[in-house]
Amino acid sequence: MSNLPPFKPNPSLTVGVELELQLINLQDFNLAMEAEDYLRRLSEVPHPGEVKPEITRAMVELNSSIHISYKSLLAELRHLRDIVAEEARKTHIGICGGGTHPFQKWKYQRIFQTERFASISEQYGYLAKQFTVFGQHIHIGCPNGNDALYLCHAFVRYLPQFVALAAASPFSQGVDTAFDCSRLAVVNAFPLSGTPPWLQEWDEFEAYYERMIELGIIQSLKDFYWDIRPKPEFGTVELRICDTPLTVEKAAELAAYAQMLASWLLTERPPLSRDLYLSYLMNRFRAARYGLEGVVVDPIQHEHRPLAEDILLTCDLLKSHATALNSSDALFFIREAVHERKNGANWLRKNYASLQSLSDTVRAQTELWMRQDEKG
Amino acid sequence: MHFFPHFHLHLNSIALFGITLLLGLIGGEIAGRTRFLPRILGYIAIGFLAGPGGFNFVDQSVLTNARIFVDISLSLILFDLGRHLDFVWLRHDRGLLPMALTESLLTLLCTFVVLHFLIALPKMLSLLAGVIAMTTSPAVVMMVAHDLSSEGPVTRRTLILTSLNNLFGLLLFTLLLPLTQTVNFPGFILFIPAVYRLCGSLILGLSIFVLLKLIAHFIGKQKDNQFILFVGAVTLTLGLARVLDLSSMLTLFILGVAARNFDSNHALMEVDFGWLARLFFILLFVVTGVQLQLQGLRYAPLAVILFILARLFSKTSGVLLFAKASRLTRQQAYALSLTLCPMAGVAMGMSYLVVDFNSDFGQQILHIMTGAIALLTLIGPILTQFAFVKTGEALAIDGDEGALR
Repeated sequence: MSNLPPFKPNPSLTVGVELELQLINLQDFNLAMEAEDYLRRLSEVPHPGEVKPEITRAMVELNSSIHISYKSLLAELRHLRDIVAEEARKTHIGICGGGTHPFQKWKYQRIFQTERFASISEQYGYLAKQFTVFGQHIHIGCPNGNDALYLCHAFVRYLPQFVALAAASPFSQGVDTAFDCSRLAVVNAFPLSGTPPWLQEWDEFEAYYERMIELGIIQSLKDFYWDIRPKPEFGTVELRICDTPLTVEKAAELAAYAQMLASWLLTERPPLSRDLYLSYLMNRFRAARYGLEGVVVDPIQHEHRPLAEDILLTCDLLKSHATALNSSDALFFIREAVHERKNGANWLRKNYASLQSLSDTVRAQTELWMRQDEKG
Repeated sequence: MHFFPHFHLHLNSIALFGITLLLGLIGGEIAGRTRFLPRILGYIAIGFLAGPGGFNFVDQSVLTNARIFVDISLSLILFDLGRHLDFVWLRHDRGLLPMALTESLLTLLCTFVVLHFLIALPKMLSLLAGVIAMTTSPAVVMMVAHDLSSEGPVTRRTLILTSLNNLFGLLLFTLLLPLTQTVNFPGFILFIPAVYRLCGSLILGLSIFVLLKLIAHFIGKQKDNQFILFVGAVTLTLGLARVLDLSSMLTLFILGVAARNFDSNHALMEVDFGWLARLFFILLFVVTGVQLQLQGLRYAPLAVILFILARLFSKTSGVLLFAKASRLTRQQAYALSLTLCPMAGVAMGMSYLVVDFNSDFGQQILHIMTGAIALLTLIGPILTQFAFVKTGEALAIDGDEGALR
């Protein structure tokens, strides 16, 4: 009997998201240690999805339900955003997106007291508090374990696109890092970060998992902080590479983009090559460092290509899948963002340039996330 | 041998002032190491031991020299307290303002009943004592929260409720104080100075705010510059309020409220007074200790105890009545009631003002108030610390949670 839960087959390409969000003190716009009280208040109000604690006390995680289409996901995220924003207003805290808080000091963060978080804190020391960074996880439903592993490897070619599109963490610990996405550097510090091993059959993956358990390296699949990983109990692959975007609209677009890409990959089945990993870390770095201005290396075609051009070419491939999944709007917004070289990092830098203060930038970030309008 | 300086055998007041500060620091450290006593109790204890109540080596000259620092400390605290009063929060949390009003007015009512009907003090005197009882010591609350790195819903609510009860207290005190004059003027003439002080304080506070904004626009968003801007504005406000015979406490409070709520284009930064505040806080509490008078406990122990119990009952009832409306847990509500207990410098200052205003009138109240304030200065910080620790908002006292392992 395997310790790994059996892969729950998912006949359709469902999509769901998890968003790690920042709780903001509205007086000084630093992080607010309010997760426990805020989650209690929220639990008294009916809402779709789930809102859960995260590793430190200024973070919460918002989970959507499972969706078939971009439009229903977007509608639910907006509804959920309005509810959590309203509850936050009542207790006078703010909520915002973004991959890092621009000026919080990690040493002042406090671990949320659960058994798992206490164990992480014990195991990783200061890294646990440094893990006060905020990511979006996207779950895509898969028919079976083999397809999930196929997607894990096939997606590696495209993960840098997600890094650049979602990048919203240019500031960290009070300075401009010169990166569009500084959050990934924090994740890199963990020994079990990176990508899944080069295994393509679910049986092989189960054996690998058993071995890691036997060696006492992991206790569950949650201990792998990979950029992408299978989630057998949900029957999904989980992309974990994105910064939490500045709006729920952007979060829904990224989820739809992942869904379209998964649809294209599972239909076209481009052959997997281990060579994808030759350039992966460099491409990931360039996407984090330069965002949409980055240049990536294609190890299969042996060429260097601007990341923006790479995304636009991918969008061309996804047109029919967008139509089939009723996600053409999302594809349009992705294209538009690439054409205009717009991501969260640019928005934050532009605001900082005009406001001249990181706390005012967080104020603007908070107002942007909490506002109740149609398009963010 | 004339080139040697001429040594005095007794220390001058500047040296005594330095010694007081150093001893305060040591006292704070000793209290901190007990793990259950707040540091400020150490500062107060040192002040008390050094002052007339103890070994009496700190005389009036030291207090006179320290006066300017103490005044600036209190001014910074009142300005900061005003900045905690956020109208947006009051609009969104419908339970908060009724809670503040109820706990304040119940305190006024219950302490008035105790002093006027049970202790048989004159009506106006009892009313003024009730007004003073409404206020929670902002210095104690801020210092304990700062020392424990306390952060969370109870800490934030303690600060806004303290801000509100001080606002109500300052407004009523400014209005009622002229009425204690024994000279037989018609009522409306007695109100003229009250109206002058209220309106004048409001106008001066808002005028300094406009000036603050203009200078902030000019100097830009530099934290160092804005730090000096705030300290400069606060001391200017203090000085002008005195020259114009206005309520300096109310004026500074209004300046803080305006800085929080009327700075529409966010020209003012959130400045932490940091080390400067810490230095001033230590001085303030050492001086509070020097001034601590326990005679009231000897002359009127029953009045003091009844006064304190009435105050505690009122504050707790006010908070509990609106805890549900504000969606607080029972534990949070009780913790909040405890954190509103401390009384110290501001209340002491108000009590002395009553005496200054009318010396015949004030001596009776002084015994009771100084006795009650002395007790609440000692017990209040312990209760506040207990509440912050129990709600899990304070870092562990030994700092384990914050330490790197």
